Amino acid sequence: MGRSFWFPLLGALGLTVLGESVALGFDPSPPAAAAEAGVVDGAFRTLTFLAIPVFAFVLSFLTYSALRFRRRPGEQADGPPVRGSRPVAVTWLGVTTALTLVLIGVGTVGLEELRHTARLSPDLVVRVEGMRWGWQVAYPEAGVSTNRELVLPVGRRIRVEVTSRDVVHSFWIPAFRAKIDAVPGMVTSVAFTPNRTGGYDQNPDLRVQCAELCGTGHSLMVIPVRIVTEEEFRQWLANQSRQM
Amino acid sequence: MAGKPVPTDVGLRMLLPVGRGLLFGALGFLVGSGLAAVIRLLTGRTPWAPEVLLAAGYPSGLIGWLLGVGMWDYWVREWFGLPRRPEPADGPGRFFRFCTDHKVIGVQYLVTFTAMMLLGGLLAMLMRLELMAPGVGVLGLAGYNAVMSLHGIFMIAVAVAILLGGFANFLVPLMVGAEDVAFPRLNALSYWLIPPVALLLVGSLLLGGFETGWTAYPPLAVVNPRGESFFLLAFLTFGFSSILGGLNFLATIIGLRAPGLTWSRLPIFIWSVFAASLISLTATQFVAFALLSDILDRVAGTVFYNPVGGGKPLLYQHLFWFYSHPAVYIMIVPAFGIVLEIIAHLARKPLFAYRWVVGAFLTIVFLSFIVWAHHLFTSGMDERLHVPFMVTTELISIPTGMVFLAALGTLWEGRILLNTPMLFALGFLFNFLIGGITGIFLADVPTDIQFQDTYFVVAHFHYTIMGGEIFAFLAAAYYWFPKITGRMFSERLGKLHFWWAFLGFNLTFLPMFWAGVRGMTRRVADYQPVLADVNLFISLAAFFLAGSFVVFVVNMVYSWARGPVAAANPWGATTLEWQTSSPPPHGNFPHRPNVVDSPYTYGMPGAVHAVVGPAGGSDGANKTG
Repeated sequence: MGRSFWFPLLGALGLTVLGESVALGFDPSPPAAAAEAGVVDGAFRTLTFLAIPVFAFVLSFLTYSALRFRRRPGEQADGPPVRGSRPVAVTWLGVTTALTLVLIGVGTVGLEELRHTARLSPDLVVRVEGMRWGWQVAYPEAGVSTNRELVLPVGRRIRVEVTSRDVVHSFWIPAFRAKIDAVPGMVTSVAFTPNRTGGYDQNPDLRVQCAELCGTGHSLMVIPVRIVTEEEFRQWLANQSRQM
Repeated sequence: MAGKPVPTDVGLRMLLPVGRGLLFGALGFLVGSGLAAVIRLLTGRTPWAPEVLLAAGYPSGLIGWLLGVGMWDYWVREWFGLPRRPEPADGPGRFFRFCTDHKVIGVQYLVTFTAMMLLGGLLAMLMRLELMAPGVGVLGLAGYNAVMSLHGIFMIAVAVAILLGGFANFLVPLMVGAEDVAFPRLNALSYWLIPPVALLLVGSLLLGGFETGWTAYPPLAVVNPRGESFFLLAFLTFGFSSILGGLNFLATIIGLRAPGLTWSRLPIFIWSVFAASLISLTATQFVAFALLSDILDRVAGTVFYNPVGGGKPLLYQHLFWFYSHPAVYIMIVPAFGIVLEIIAHLARKPLFAYRWVVGAFLTIVFLSFIVWAHHLFTSGMDERLHVPFMVTTELISIPTGMVFLAALGTLWEGRILLNTPMLFALGFLFNFLIGGITGIFLADVPTDIQFQDTYFVVAHFHYTIMGGEIFAFLAAAYYWFPKITGRMFSERLGKLHFWWAFLGFNLTFLPMFWAGVRGMTRRVADYQPVLADVNLFISLAAFFLAGSFVVFVVNMVYSWARGPVAAANPWGATTLEWQTSSPPPHGNFPHRPNVVDSPYTYGMPGAVHAVVGPAGGSDGANKTG
C-alpha cells in the first residue's frame, strides 16, 4: 500500500467535508405541510449524510488510481501479483456491514415513528375513491362528498381510507410525504396531521396526484388540496351539505 | 468478415430460412386461430373474437415459425431418421439462419439487441420531446403512454439479453476452452424466439399499443386496449428464451470446462454468467405465470386479479416482482463480471479478492429472491412485510460493496491502460456508485414512501441499468471487438464516444433525482409548471446524449468493415478467448486447451493461465507481457 495510500484518503476526507457542508446548507426537499413529513425529510437528510463519505471514498480512490497508476506509453510491465488481502477484505466487509446495519436502524426507527401516528385514533376520517381519472372525496360523518378538491382542517390527525373503483391508482400528497395505493377490492389507509394552512395556488405540492400508472388520463389525475382552519372547515362542510 | 471466400448463399437466398419460418408461422397461426373459431362456432358463440383468436393462434404460429426457421431441419428430420442438413461453416448466410455456432448466435444477439437498444433510445427521444414543456404536447396522453411502455419493454429486453445472449454466448465456450455450448441447437432456438417478440411488440402499435408500462399491473392490463395481448405474449416468449439461455450456460460452465479449469480458476466473467444464469433458469417461470394469468383474465374472463370475482390485484405485483427484481441481477451481475474482467486485464494485475467476489455474486443470487416486496412498500400490502424487506434489500449493498473493493483493489498499483474499454469500465463504477447509493433511499421505507413512482426511481434505475449495465456493455463491445470481428476499432472515436456519453448521461439523469425530489411522478405526459425548467434541461441533455450513440455506431460499423486487422491478442490478456485467432475458427481452438493456473497470472514471470495445443502454444498464445 505504501505512503501514497494517504493521498486518496485525504482526498476522500476533503470531498466528504465539502459534500457534508453542502448537504447541511442546502435542503432540496420541497416545503412540507404535515407533521409526519419531518420523519421522511429527516430520513432523507440522514441517508444523504451517510451516503456522502461512501461516495467520496470510492470516487477519490477511483480518480487517484486512474491518474496515478496509468500506464505510460510503451510501458509493458505488469502490476504486482497481489491477489488480495484478507485484512483488507475483512475490514471492508466489517465497515460495509456496520454501515448497512446503521441504515437499517435509521429506516426502522423512521418507520416506527410513522406507524405510531397511524395507530393513534384519528380526529377525522376521510374516504377517498380513485377512478379513471379523478378522485372522489367523502366526509362520512358530515355526509359530504366532492370530486373537486380535498379540504382538510389544520392541526388535526387525519386518516384517509383509500380505495379504487376500477384499476390501481396511488394517492399521493407530495407536501405531506404521504402515499398509498388505491387498490380495487381493498381499503388502504394513510395518516397525517396537516400543520399549516394553505392551498395548491401557494404550494403546488398541496395536491392529490395519482402516482400509479392508470391509463390515458393518468398525468391529469390531480386535484388540489386546501388546508384551512377548524372553523373554516366546519363552514365549508356546512356549505357543501347544503348544496348536496 | 472481409477477406473470406464469398459463399454461395449470398443475396436474397440468405433470407430463405427466415421466409420459410414466416410462411410456416402464418400457417400455424391460421390453424390455431381457425380451430378456436370452429370451437366457438360449435359451442354457439360468435367465431369473431380477435383476442381469443390471437391468443389461440399464437402458440401454433410460434411453433410454425420455429419449425420453418430451423427446428424442422435440426430436430424433426433427426426424429424421422433422415440425415441432418449440413450447416454452412462460413459466410454471411450463417447470420440469417438457424446456426448452432455459439459465436454466430452471440453476434446475432449483439446486433439484434443493439438495434433494439437504438430503437428504444429513439422512443426515449420522443418521450423527452413530449416532456420538454408542461402541457400535453406532440404525442398526446395515449401516445405518450404507448411510447413510454414500448421504450420500457424494449430496454428491459435489451438489458436482460444483451450481455447474456450476446457476450456470454460468444465468450463462455471460448473462456472455458470448449468447442461450443452444451446444447448448441437449444442455443439457436433461444435466439430464434426473439424475432417473434420484436414482431409482436412493434405489431402492438398497429392496434393502438399498450399503455401499462412493462409492468402490466392488472386490472389496468385487463381493461387496456388490444395491443396489451401482443405485449403479454411477447414478454412470455422472451421469458422462455431467457430460461433456455440460463440452462445452456449452466450446463456449459458445469460440464464443458477444459481440463484443469477448476472452479477457482474460472475467469470472473464466467462466474458472473453462472450466477445470472441461476436466476434466469429459476425465476423466469414466476413472471410467466403472472403474464399467463393476465392473459387468461383478458381472453377467458378468469378472475385471478379481478376483485369482483374474488381475485387479488396485489397478488400479481408479488408474482411479477418475484421475477422482476431478481431480473435486475440478471442484468447487472454479468456487468460486474465484465467490468472486473476488463479492469484486471487492462490494469495487468490479478483480480483483487477473487474468492470474495465469487462469494458476493452467489450471495446476491440468494438475496435477490427475497427482496421483491420493496417494490410494494406503498401498495397497501401487509405492513409486517415492510421491515423484513427493507432489511434484505439493504443487505445487498454488502456483496455489492465487495465488487467495488475488488475493482479498487485491482486498480491500485496496477498498470492501467486508459483506453476506451477501460474508460467505460471506470465510467461504470462512477455511475453504478450513484445508482447503488440512491437505491438505499428507495429501500428505506420512510423515504421510499415519498420517492416511489417518482423521477427519483427513474433516475436510480437508469443509473444502475444504463449508466451501469449499458456502460459495461459498451466497455465489452470495445474490449472484445477485435476478438469478435478480427479488426480494431478507432481509439479516437472510442474516446470521443466515452466522454460524450459519460457527460451526456450524467447531465440527463442527475437532474432527474432533483425532479423526483421536487415531486415529479414517473410515467406522466404532463407535469406541474414549476418543473418546467428542469425538464427542459433534461430533454436537451437527452438529445445531446443520443448523439453519442451515433459515434458508437459509426465506429463499430466502419471499423468492422475497414478497421485495421487486429492481432489475436491485442491486449496481451491471459484468458483463453485471446489464445486463439480473431475471430476464432469453427470449434474455437486447434487443440483442447489445458488450464494450469489462475486466469490472472499478471506479474508472475513464467506463469500462464492455460496451454493451448500439444506443443504448449499456438498462434501467439500465452503471452503475459
